[in-house]
This record gives sequence, C-alpha cells and structure tokens, in this order.
Amino acid sequence: MLIFSLLVDGAGYTYRVVNHYPLTGSVPGLPPNLNGWQLYNHYGLDLKGGTDIQLQLTNFPAGQDRASVQSRFIDVIQKRVNALGVSEPTVQPGGGGNHDRVEVQLPGVSAADALKLLGRRDKLVVTKWVPDSSITSMPFPGYKPQITPLTSDMLTNAYAGLNPQTSVGWVVNFQYNSQGAGIFSQLTTDAYSACQSQGPTAAQCHITNWLDLSPDDIANWNTKGVELYTSVDQGGKLVSDPTISNGPIPNGQGYIEGNFSQDTAKNLAILLNSGSLPVDFNVLSSSEVGASLGAQSIRLSVAAALLGLIVVIVFMIAFYRLPGLLASLALLCYAGVVLAVFRIVPVTLTLAGLAGFILSVGMAVDANVLIFERFKEEMRAGRTIGAAVDAAVRRAWPAIRDSNTSTLITSLVLIFAAPIQVKGFAVTLAIGVLVSLVSAIIITHNLLAIVLNFGWARTSSLLGVARG
Amino acid sequence: MAELTRPGVAAEEPARPAVAAPSRRLDVIGRRNIFFLISLVIIIPGIVSMVVNGFQLGIDFAGGNEFLLTFQNNPTQKQVEAAVASEGVTPFVQQSGQGSFIIKTPQLDPNKFQSDLERKVGPIDGNKSSFHQVGATIAGETVTAAALSIAAASALILLYLAFRFRRVQGGWTAGFQFGGSALLALLHDVFLLCGIFSILGTVFKLHIGEIDSLFLTAVLTVVGFSVHDTIVVFDRIRENMIVSSRLTFEQVVNLSIMQTAARSIITSFTVVLVLLSLLLFGGDTLKGFALALLIGIISGTYSSIFNATPLLVVWRRLQPVRR
Repeated sequence: MLIFSLLVDGAGYTYRVVNHYPLTGSVPGLPPNLNGWQLYNHYGLDLKGGTDIQLQLTNFPAGQDRASVQSRFIDVIQKRVNALGVSEPTVQPGGGGNHDRVEVQLPGVSAADALKLLGRRDKLVVTKWVPDSSITSMPFPGYKPQITPLTSDMLTNAYAGLNPQTSVGWVVNFQYNSQGAGIFSQLTTDAYSACQSQGPTAAQCHITNWLDLSPDDIANWNTKGVELYTSVDQGGKLVSDPTISNGPIPNGQGYIEGNFSQDTAKNLAILLNSGSLPVDFNVLSSSEVGASLGAQSIRLSVAAALLGLIVVIVFMIAFYRLPGLLASLALLCYAGVVLAVFRIVPVTLTLAGLAGFILSVGMAVDANVLIFERFKEEMRAGRTIGAAVDAAVRRAWPAIRDSNTSTLITSLVLIFAAPIQVKGFAVTLAIGVLVSLVSAIIITHNLLAIVLNFGWARTSSLLGVARG
Repeated sequence: MAELTRPGVAAEEPARPAVAAPSRRLDVIGRRNIFFLISLVIIIPGIVSMVVNGFQLGIDFAGGNEFLLTFQNNPTQKQVEAAVASEGVTPFVQQSGQGSFIIKTPQLDPNKFQSDLERKVGPIDGNKSSFHQVGATIAGETVTAAALSIAAASALILLYLAFRFRRVQGGWTAGFQFGGSALLALLHDVFLLCGIFSILGTVFKLHIGEIDSLFLTAVLTVVGFSVHDTIVVFDRIRENMIVSSRLTFEQVVNLSIMQTAARSIITSFTVVLVLLSLLLFGGDTLKGFALALLIGIISGTYSSIFNATPLLVVWRRLQPVRR
C-alpha cells in the first residue's frame, strides 16, 4: 500500500516533468485524479484564499420532495458559479435529512462579490399594471402591478449585448420558449394598444421587470411602492420599466434595457440563464480569507513543521544513535507517504488539517520511541540483537495498537460529529495514524533488521545501549 | 561474531522477561496524595474561573463578525479604535502585525463597515485581510456538536479500553477500572486546559485565551494524547501482571511507571519541541492552538503518570477483584 502510494505519486510528478507541466497546483484541462496523473496538494480556502458561505434554505414549497428542491437549488447556484469562471468551486448539500443547507466555496472571490451572485433569490418577475383606485403611491397613482405567469424558467436564452437599435449602452437580450412567447405576445399586444390609446406615459403602456417582487409587496403597495420602484442597485427591486410603443412582440424575442454596465448586464444574463432559485435562503455564516494571508499561513506552518522535524531528528539521533537515524529515515518515508495519500484521496488541506498532520508526525515518533526503549530493555535483559529487535517490535505492538486505536476512535467521532471546522483536522489525523501504524511496524522494523545485519552497526556506542 | 550483551549477563543465559527492577525508584503510588493535591491546586482556580467568568468566546461560538484588516497606511491602534467606535460598536480591536488589526463586532453589514473604515482610516489590502461571519444558529450548533463529540469520544474510548483490558485478572470489572481511570485522567487534562484558558481569557483578558473551534480541536487532540500516554503505562501493567505474579498490585504498578516513564517523557518532550516551534513561529492563527496543545500535552504526561495509575490503585482497593 505504502509503495503503491509513493509509486502513483512519483509517477504523477514524473508525468508532469516529462510533459512540462508546473509541478504544483491544478493544471487546467486535466480532470482531477485522472488515473492518478493529476496530483497536487488541495488547499482549503483558509490557505489559498476565498469565500465560504453557508446557506440556510427556507420557505420550501409544500408537497415537493425536499431533496429534489435542494438539488435544484444547487444546480442553479452551480450554473451561476460556473458562469463566473471561478476555478475549483464547490457547492455541496448539507442539513442531513432536512435538506435545508448548502455550502458554497469560491476560491479567490471576495465575500462581497460572492453575495452579489448568491445573496438574492433573483427570481425574474414580469408585471403589467392594472387599475386600482385605492393606490395613491407613485409611480402610477391609481394603478398597481400585477404579476404575470411569465417566469425565467420559460427563457431559452439570455445574453448581454449592446443595444441593437442605438449600439450605445448594454442590454440583456432574451428568447422565450413557445409557452413564454405566447404569454409575452398577449402582454405586449395589450400594452401596445394602451400606448396607442392613452399615450406613452400611461401606466398600462408599461411592462415592468423586477427581481423577487412578491405578492406581499404588491399588497402593501401604498407604503412600499416607491421604495420597491427603485433600481436593484439602489436597494429596490426594479430591473427595467420599458414602454411597448413600437408594437407587439410576437416571437418571444426582446431585450431588457435598464442603465446596465457591461458587468451588470452580464450578471443579469447569468441569473436569467441559470433559472430562479426554487426557495428562499438566509446566509448562516460566511468567511473570507485574503489570498496572501492564506499563503502566509502555509509558509509559516511549513516552516514550523520543518523546524519541528529537524529538531526531532537531531534529538532522536543524539538520544538513540543509529536507531534514531533509522527512525528519522522512517519518519521521512512516513511524511512522504502521508502527503502522497493526501494528494491521491484527495484530502483538502486546511490550517486545522495541517495541525492534524503535524500531530500525527508526533504520534509516529512515539511509536518509534516505544520500540527503541523496548529494544534497549531487551538488550539489557541479554537477548541477541536479532531477537531483541523482534521482541521489541512484538512487545511494543499492544501499546502502539491501543494508543493509536483510541486516537483513531477520537478522530472518527470527530469526522462524523464535530463542527465543520474540525473535520479537516480529524481526517488528516486519522490518515496519519493509520499510516503510522503500518510504517512503525514495517519500515522501522525492517530498517533495523537490515542495518543490524552489518557487523559495523553492532557496536554499543552506535546503538546507545551501554549507556542505559 | 561476538554478540553485544550487557556486562555481567552471560550470553548463554536465556533471555529474562523485561521486569528487572530499575535502580532508581520513585514511589509514585506511596506518595499519590501529594500528586493528587498538586493537580487540585492547579485545577480548582480554573474551575472557579469557568463557573464565575466563563470563557472569552470566539465568533465560532458567540456568533458575530470578525475582521482581520490590513491597512496600507499602517495606522495606530487608537485610530482604528476611534473609527470602529464611530460605527456605534463597542470596539474590540487588537493589533496583530504591521498595519493588521483583528476587529470583532456584533452582526452588522460587513461591506458597509469595511468601506466606512476604509474612508476613515485608509485603504485596506484585501489580499492580506480576512472576514468571518457566523450566525447565531451555526454558533449554537457548533457548541452542541463540540459537547457531543467530546462526550461520544470519551465514552467510546472507555468501552475500547474496557474491552482491551478485560483479560487481566478481574475480567470486565478490571477492564472498566482501567478504562475509568484513564477517563478520569483525561477529564483532569480537559478541565485543567479549559480552566487555564478561562483564566487567560477572562481574568487577564488575553486574545490568546479565546475559545474557538481551533481550541476545540486542541482539546480533542489532548484527549487523544492523554489516553495515548495512559495506555502505554497501562499496557505495561497488563504485561507485568502476567509475568510477575509474585509482586503485589502496587509494586507492579510502580514498576510499570518506572519502566515507561522514560518513553513518556521523551515522547512528550519531542512533541513539546514541535509545539514550541509552532508557538514561536507558527503565525497568529496557530498561536492559541499551539499554547493549548502545549498545556494539554504537559498535563497529559503528568496525569498519566501521577494521576491515572494511582487512581487505578485506589479504585482497585475500593472495589477489589479476586486474583
């Protein structure tokens, strides 16, 4: 298993060298872990920078399967994220049987930008205006909006482009499917005739586009109307409010004007294309880490780990002489194997995950110390070297097994029950402990047995035994 | 080829089991009350502080916003504090590096807050900044999950140890005595660690004493390590009980402590070395974590030698098992 991991890892790097790919990081165009060729360290957002947002889904429609609503939600988010061109985004379900959580991770994106993309339900609502004598509020006293059955799900395509008539300013072009085109044709015909009879300032000449306008909003139009009839950028819900003065639109094709910049037009097109989210949501938590802050964390952790490793190796060699040197070799093999396993699985390394790895190194050292202390004892008790090595490994085994098993139990509990921030730690610790169980027994044991076959290795000063 | 042997032991003599009494001896079991007392002296102030003051909660547990902002114009702490205070928020501002400040606030609009600060203090380097926002729901769940996972891990470890030690004289009863003693030593370490952090965070009001999910990780690690240490001693007791039935239980225990003390101290020492390097060079985010582990590992080593094993002896006296 160990050799396999190193072989696959080594082969992955050889492949990169041969093909002149960069040695670290993801190579675009290669799918991750294609037969193990595409291997690299996967870093969590706290190390590479980016935004992590937890969403709580609310207002599930009654009578629908919650799991499928959740997966539809994820589909829509996924489309929006993909359109943004983020590398390696993850959108994953959570909330267990309730199916009411979604976690979104966007590397290299600030929290503000991420929320612009996700922070609203962004359901396109198209209204016409109907007379209502109780309405006193602007913009059209005596009229209130009425939601039409048009939804963005009826759109077959939407894209940003320059205004096709004036070639100045950005618009969002759209195309409805046949059902939408039918409704849209009827709407525009009605509005056009109102424009003809009442003039372009009349309320009924307008077909208005909103984001997330709700029946509740309309019920309170007198108090909320003015606030809602302001553009989305300024806190309202209005996207555009064109008049249909050029004639009905029979083919379901048109464009939305709304003082767009290139970016805002593109964003709206993305939102329309990805469809509307099936439910509402709240932001439960969000976390953003700057890229160089993450890089600094990696640098410091690696430096600390290397320093720790050097100190441990110096200490082991000073204290245990030749066996200490062998243990250090075993330790380096161990670290190599664990890192290879991280890349193969792959395990996403977070700050806590690095801590788990460093801790597992400490536990691997412990297994070696247990064996060497035992080896010294067995030597003092008068065994031959070969017998002492075997007895040391055999007798140290129950302690190594039991202590590592209890650590494994703790980390398994953590993987399943612990808060999300701790899971990365538990995963790396569990892998580290599993590998160290094998490495202490196989690598250290065999290295000791092989080297001690040589006569020169059997002097007491090299073994550090006579001192005891 | 000459075999290497200890002077004075003939090579042809059959290997004796490794129970030879070491020359230096410390009677841990006889002086157990002194060691219990030392533990209590350290733990009790911590428990009092936990009950009276509680903890300085990080945002993982308390909810709210935490910013790490790096200003390009390197302002003073006073400037930043004044700007935060003008937002109508009680300032919690701490400098963490050249131009970098940790700012904690209750729930508010983070974008507005950040742009206000930029206007009042100076431009912020987004690459060197971070922002965490935790809602009350998540914070509550984190606390529950934390408590649950510590309880579950403890219970499973107890069961596992009882299972592993069921074959010593006394069967499952003895197994649970071993497991229970290990568990008590573990709780000793958890309480000691939490107590010290409660004192650091609330009495001395240090940022390093803040309780967050990384601290929780540290506690769970200490749980693993403490049991690790204890098991090594207990494993030796298990072995010695079989090979030397002439000795009393107390003698077996003391012998086992002496035989494993070198290993316990060496291992802990190597881990302490690694942690010291983390504490000194590991960056701000990891400092509290490294300190927690450092305290926990030292406590864990102490408790496995001076608490867990004497407890086992006391327990076995109170609830004798037939030999």
